[in-house]
Amino acid sequence: MIIDVKKFGTTLVSRPTGREAWLAFQPVLKEISRSEKITVDFNGVVVLTPSWADEFLTPLKENFKEKVELINIDNPSVKATLEILNETSLP
Amino acid sequence: MHRFIHISMQNQLFSISEAARLLGVSIDTLRRWDAAGRLTSIRSGPRGHRFYSQSDIEQYLQEIEAVARNWAMMTVAAEPHPDSYCQSRDIFQARLEILQSKLSKIMSIETVSLITAVSGEIGNNSFDHNLGNWPDISGIFFSYSIRNRIVVLADRGQGILTTLKRVRPSLNNSYDAVKVAFTETISGRYPETRGNGLKFVKSIIVKNPFSLYFQTGNAQLHLKKGDDQLDVQQTKTIIKGCFALINFEGSI
Repeated sequence: MIIDVKKFGTTLVSRPTGREAWLAFQPVLKEISRSEKITVDFNGVVVLTPSWADEFLTPLKENFKEKVELINIDNPSVKATLEILNETSLP
Repeated sequence: MHRFIHISMQNQLFSISEAARLLGVSIDTLRRWDAAGRLTSIRSGPRGHRFYSQSDIEQYLQEIEAVARNWAMMTVAAEPHPDSYCQSRDIFQARLEILQSKLSKIMSIETVSLITAVSGEIGNNSFDHNLGNWPDISGIFFSYSIRNRIVVLADRGQGILTTLKRVRPSLNNSYDAVKVAFTETISGRYPETRGNGLKFVKSIIVKNPFSLYFQTGNAQLHLKKGDDQLDVQQTKTIIKGCFALINFEGSI
């Protein structure tokens, strides 16, 4: 399945909105099969911070591990956020 | 409120729309400021159009920083002017998106994305660490001058030392607390293990032509491109919460 991140907004900066996105997406995540890959598409996202990503991407990676693939990560703040998360909290 | 004065040739006059563009606010906001005496216009021409002198605009731009600092430091608590006051996270989010949209008209996607992200992280950090615990005024001061390439954020919260001391009781001064906040992954929101916000801010500032001045308690940090050591110093003045000045003069 593909998660189109920009559908949660294009300025993704706070913990509460990240957590809200994670909670809102639970019903969809419960339906995917064990073998299915999850592609997280950042196309169209203008601003991302670790606060938002920690609440959404970190648990997604914790739950689905190597099945998670991130694409269109060229935006400067997306890149900077992923670098920080890779150093610290992303499993 | 307005004045009728002679303006020297060196002191250029700007129309209200030009002034609005320079200050990064709407024409309606300038009319409100004029009526309130916050930034007064000069009426000229047969129809009494509003004009703004270059010196008044420049003086105003320099004042944003002073207004924010004074607000963060003053002993008697009062809400900031509504134009700069984000009482809740939702208001901050909305105004941050306005900043982003204004920046995107004149700056590269790199500058827009990174300056908005840094501002968003610092502003949200204030809310994260003071939710339900604001000592007096809840929320943050958030203002900017696109012309002067600055963003100013301040809060009257508990400050970094108080929030980090909960998870690192050995911390006993703001100087060490600032160093920890900007270099280690530590969350003042136990049992949350995450706390990358200010580290993220540092990683962006040191890799780009931006600078950051940050004060909490009696410790100040100057950070700029290329810094590999944290330049933290003690100050004589004390800001109980946090004060941040982001400069993006050298935009990408």
